[in-house]
Amino acid sequence: MAKSQSDFHFIGKPQRKIEGLEKSSGRALYADDIRLPGMLHGKILRSPYPHARIVSIDTSAAEALEGVHGVVTGRDMPTTYGIIPWTPDEYPLALDRVRYVGDGVAAVAAVDEDTAIRALDLIRVEYEELPAFPDPVSALRADGSTPYVHDAEKEGRNGNVTKHVHMEFGDVDGLMETSEVVVEGEYFFEGTTHTPIEPHCAIGLWQPDGSRRDGLGEPTRDERGDGTGADSGPRTGSGKLTVWSATQVPHYLHRELARVLDVDPARVRVIQPLVGGAFGGKSEPFDLEFCVAKLAMKTGRPVKILYTREEVFYAHRGRHPFHMRYRTGCDTGGRLKSVDAEIVLDGGAYASFGLVTTYYSGQLLCAPYAMPAYRFDSTRVYTNKPACGPKRGHGSVQPRFAFEVQMDKLAERVGLDPVDMRRINFIGENTRTVNELRITSNGFLECLDAVERASGWRDKFRKLPFGRGVGVAGSTYISGTNYPIYPNRMPQSAVQMQIDRSGRVAVFSGASEIGQGCDSVVAYVAAEELGVPLEHVRVYRGDTDFTPVDLGAYSSRVTFMLGNAAIQAARKLRQMVQQAVAEEWDVKPGEVLLAGGRAMWAPDTERQMSTREAFNLAEAKFGTLGARGWYDTPKDVHGDYRGGTIGASPAYSFTAHVAEVEVDVETGFVDVKKIWVAHDCGRALNPVLVEGQMEGSAYMGFAEALMEEQVFKDTDHGRAGLHDGPSLLDYRIPTSMDTPELESLIIESIDPEGPYGAKEAGEGPLHPSIPAIANAIYDAVGVRMDRLPFSPPAVWREIQAARGAGTLRKPPC
Amino acid sequence: MPPATEIVTLMVNGDRREVGVPGHYTLLEALRYGLGLTGSKQGCDKGDCGACTVLMDGEPTLSCITPIREADGRRIVTVEGLGTARGPHPLQDEFDLHGAAQCGFCTPGILCSAAALLARSTNPSREEIREALSGNLCRCTGYTKIYEAVEAAAARMRDNG
Amino acid sequence: MLRLPPFSYHRPATLDEAVSLLGEHAGDVLPVAGGTDLIPNMKHRLFEPGHLVALRGIAELSGIRRENGCLRIGAAETLASVARDADVKKHVPSLADAAAHVAGPQIRNAATLGGNLCLETRCTYYNQTAFWRGALGYCLKKDGTVCHVTKVGKKCVAAHSADTPPVLMTLDAVAVLEGPRGRREIPVRDFFVADGIANTRRETGEIVIEVRIPLESSSRRAAYAKLRQRNAIDFPLLTVAVSVDLEDDGSTVRSITGVVTALGSRPRELSGWGEVAEGHALDEDVVWELAERAYKQCHPLENIIVDPDWRRAMVPVYVRRALEKLRA
Ligand SMILES: Cc1cc2nc3c(=O)[nH]c(=O)nc-3n(C[C@H](O)[C@H](O)[C@H](O)COP(=O)(O)OP(=O)(O)OC[C@H]3O[C@@H](n4cnc5c(N)ncnc54)[C@H](O)[C@@H]3O)c2cc1C
Ligand code: SF4
Ligand code: FES
Ligand code: FES
Repeated sequence: MAKSQSDFHFIGKPQRKIEGLEKSSGRALYADDIRLPGMLHGKILRSPYPHARIVSIDTSAAEALEGVHGVVTGRDMPTTYGIIPWTPDEYPLALDRVRYVGDGVAAVAAVDEDTAIRALDLIRVEYEELPAFPDPVSALRADGSTPYVHDAEKEGRNGNVTKHVHMEFGDVDGLMETSEVVVEGEYFFEGTTHTPIEPHCAIGLWQPDGSRRDGLGEPTRDERGDGTGADSGPRTGSGKLTVWSATQVPHYLHRELARVLDVDPARVRVIQPLVGGAFGGKSEPFDLEFCVAKLAMKTGRPVKILYTREEVFYAHRGRHPFHMRYRTGCDTGGRLKSVDAEIVLDGGAYASFGLVTTYYSGQLLCAPYAMPAYRFDSTRVYTNKPACGPKRGHGSVQPRFAFEVQMDKLAERVGLDPVDMRRINFIGENTRTVNELRITSNGFLECLDAVERASGWRDKFRKLPFGRGVGVAGSTYISGTNYPIYPNRMPQSAVQMQIDRSGRVAVFSGASEIGQGCDSVVAYVAAEELGVPLEHVRVYRGDTDFTPVDLGAYSSRVTFMLGNAAIQAARKLRQMVQQAVAEEWDVKPGEVLLAGGRAMWAPDTERQMSTREAFNLAEAKFGTLGARGWYDTPKDVHGDYRGGTIGASPAYSFTAHVAEVEVDVETGFVDVKKIWVAHDCGRALNPVLVEGQMEGSAYMGFAEALMEEQVFKDTDHGRAGLHDGPSLLDYRIPTSMDTPELESLIIESIDPEGPYGAKEAGEGPLHPSIPAIANAIYDAVGVRMDRLPFSPPAVWREIQAARGAGTLRKPPC
Repeated sequence: MPPATEIVTLMVNGDRREVGVPGHYTLLEALRYGLGLTGSKQGCDKGDCGACTVLMDGEPTLSCITPIREADGRRIVTVEGLGTARGPHPLQDEFDLHGAAQCGFCTPGILCSAAALLARSTNPSREEIREALSGNLCRCTGYTKIYEAVEAAAARMRDNG
Repeated sequence: MLRLPPFSYHRPATLDEAVSLLGEHAGDVLPVAGGTDLIPNMKHRLFEPGHLVALRGIAELSGIRRENGCLRIGAAETLASVARDADVKKHVPSLADAAAHVAGPQIRNAATLGGNLCLETRCTYYNQTAFWRGALGYCLKKDGTVCHVTKVGKKCVAAHSADTPPVLMTLDAVAVLEGPRGRREIPVRDFFVADGIANTRRETGEIVIEVRIPLESSSRRAAYAKLRQRNAIDFPLLTVAVSVDLEDDGSTVRSITGVVTALGSRPRELSGWGEVAEGHALDEDVVWELAERAYKQCHPLENIIVDPDWRRAMVPVYVRRALEKLRA
């Protein structure tokens, strides 16, 4: 039986975040706030060419410059890496070929940044420029007469193809043929980037004499670099490498640092300070992390590199541009029969998570609607631009846009209200999708009801005056991936918890706090289960030396997995405390309640003691108190076919949005008045945090819908492959004056396997913003926006065309 | 830090501080790397994002594009100086209570802009708050929780006179 | 970080001192007011002067006051103070409006009216980092030999991108400059030249000390409209300023001016407006005709990354919107 809200003391109630005041007081430490004694500053030299062979690199003048302590090039780290173990295609610094404007070529460590910058100017690199592939069309057309972005694995293959996935479920062609209504559309989703306000930053520290006397990252006096370790290089068998980084994936960084730099993983430590936003943009290793490590090893001094905002745009790993073609068929009643998709993903210069992205582009579409037949054919292509990767809603935001617009078109064709169209196709709870993913809890219908009611949909749809409109869209997203990125059978998430006679609880958590509040979630769990006030819980985090492994903050996995791990650990401790108290009182352990800082006897709550006294009894009885909790996913939740595990999740979240817009037909400006966001997060462990995730997601979707585009110059405009404007002035993200009113409507389906029933809230609620706005624009002025972004010039052009064709009007009811 | 060529006097958060810095440092660099006041953040370093906002003689100012000599002798308040020994500024507390700081990286700058607003008016409209914060980009929150926190802090300041 | 190149910063107390510092370091010095344009440009290595002469804090450059039928605004007054000044709001509200629409609040607290008048021209190929411009191969305006906008030509067409000058032009404002050769006045209308590399008549060593706006007793009304993608922070994609003098009947147009900018290297004063509007009421037909004339004269370039066809189509729309404000 699911617990009802009133059974909880912390869970489900608004709570402070444990680091909230630290952040609002300015005391919180982020990577660039850390300064180590003797620290050097690094800078990375980057390629000015989109595609070129490196003929030679001469670093001698840079090395000779006063104040320069070390220079590294690709030759110093000639090992490939990649977040996906099957596609390691990057070097920390380019070895013999550069593949995009901004690719790292050499790095310098100097006494200060000014000197490092001067040193970069002294490095002579001779390039031989190669023809570049600026877009997927040219990349796919390549015949090998000029070098591919990456050499083909096999003779005769096109090296520009990262991955091709073709999957078919059910009788797609047959059911398409018998569909009474078929809608076909072409869609384009422009690339966008994460744009966390904090630029990436990393610090490397090499302690040649090993790791025996470590405090919490504070180097002791004689470890201060004084230059004596210069050029000693890594000494096998001794020495310890510590890297602080604004990363979302300390564990993967740990692995890759060890592998690429050839240091025993037992002598590598990764510390993750607070991270100033990430959204998927810091979820794999980057050149700066390898460079600070290598430069620290080489110079014997700590080295920091802080990206400039421009470098953040080059590091990218943002949303792939998707070229999509969809055919969707349904019967006269609006029931979906067949879905057929063809997708080309513009991947940029490296694979990144691309293999997964290619699967996700198809695999995550099969809910919340039942579809009897589904096929997708997705090809990810290398191009000479910064690599694309995972951005909030990885791989599924783009197809969701296309698909939900298709749904809107179908609804109109069959004469159904688009909310009803979505209702009748609801896939249900405890079921399997056409691609055999297991669905458990599912609050999608409640989401639809909530946005329909709150937005006044029935009075608005097709009824607002010309120029104003509403649109609806739905979506689903994973709560973590069933399988880790590298195959292994160890837990995906874990915590260790300690209590002691002082009454405090210490939690050691490897999870990555990137602003979403996961450190707080473990604290709420500990407080809930052990009955202590939140102030008595300490969360130690983000340091691979003393926290158990968690795989990182991606795929919306953290709350679900970490929450379950924390509950497990806390309950073990609770049982010990209950048992000790029960013995003291001579009652049954199950009758001992822990809440509000007290241990109480359930039948007579007058009988009580403080949790501190209770912990004392437990410590006396069991000795020093500690417990471990971990989580691994169920393994029977997907289909048994190649690729069937990708997209499998222990639970799925569901979302519906209604957007209301006003379109200025003279200018093309779309004013999004309001977005109503209903999201089934399972259970809201802290509604304030859940709403924050919902609003932040809806905002980010809105931003992609209306203004964001990571685009590049072409040969007619300067240099092909050169970023259009790598700054926060030219890459526009919405200000407070642009962002619509956002209303969060939390739906709780209480997932049977989630921690207290919780699922995810950090990524799902982004998806429907975009198609809901597109559908609202159609409701407002009868113009379909099938290409992103709906920037004023783009909307204006469509409006002009519609005016010419006589279709600029309120669509018929 | 490159060699110091100037000694600048800043009245920071109530303290008179002398700091030796390179003449081409910005106020942000002097605060962060000269004085160790790392609360003020850098998100773009050229005036586009507002993360580095501090109060200079009471006015929200982008410290990343303020040459350090321009700040010489001026009154600077950073996020570290908003609260008192007795407790945080109501804005800081309400930001925490409302979840207005997610990653927290925009927060110091936003707090400075909001503090200047509340110093002018303790009953600002939602529109005035939006306007006052329009030079501070936040990538996490969608701004909603930030408005709610500013409104709650304003209400608290009205109640406390 | 985006490091600044080294420089010495001078904070003169008087105008004379400032002028002589500019003379003393001629060739290696720039005046700086709010620095909101110059400092980012220096971080991009577009300028690397060895000396900066600060204009904030010079008494002769500050103050907003009415004097001899003029409103005099010191060049070092910030856009925030211009926007909230009671006299400005009362007598020249379109200037307050324009000042309030520059950038975001923090920038307006530092940015000055003089700096806005002297704002560097902007271009998608120019306002970029040193690395980026190097990857491009530079351009005519700085370090290179070609213009990526016109592709041919030996002329830079970077866009004048400031909000207040068009308004000042419609208000018949005069810029007062002080330099090594003394003081002179230039009507803002004549202040700009069509050269993206150096688009003002200000000579090296000269400082704009104030702007004077005649406060005619007649019924002049002025308005301003700005096209930008975001509702804050963004530079204009188009700025339109209009003003009209009405006859005593309160409806017949005596004279009318319109200025648009963010197209080419200087604000463009729209021609042929008088013959359309003078002697008529500013009714809808006249407004449309004025807008049409504006459209014919304006040809946005790809100096700004945003779709030039759309920007052109927005010219008549924003001209109408500005004129509608006059009618209101
Ligand atoms: C993010 C951002 C957004 C912006 N948006 C806008 C916008 O929307 N509209 C807009 O108009 N501007 C905008 N700007 C540009 C700038 O902030 C303003 O134009 C401002 O008014 C410039 O004034 P300043 O005092 O800061 O100039 P400074 O940077 O100090 O100087 C600019 C130039 O003028 C010269 N100069 C300054 N004062 C004088 C003087 N009195 N005499 C002679 N020469 C002088 C300087 O030598 C320099 O070459 C923006 C800037 C940024 C960073
Ligand atoms: S207009 Fe041409 S010359 Fe001028 S800045 Fe732009 S590209 Fe350079
Ligand atoms: S860091 Fe100063 S405005 Fe972005
Ligand atoms: S809280 Fe992360 S940028 Fe605002």
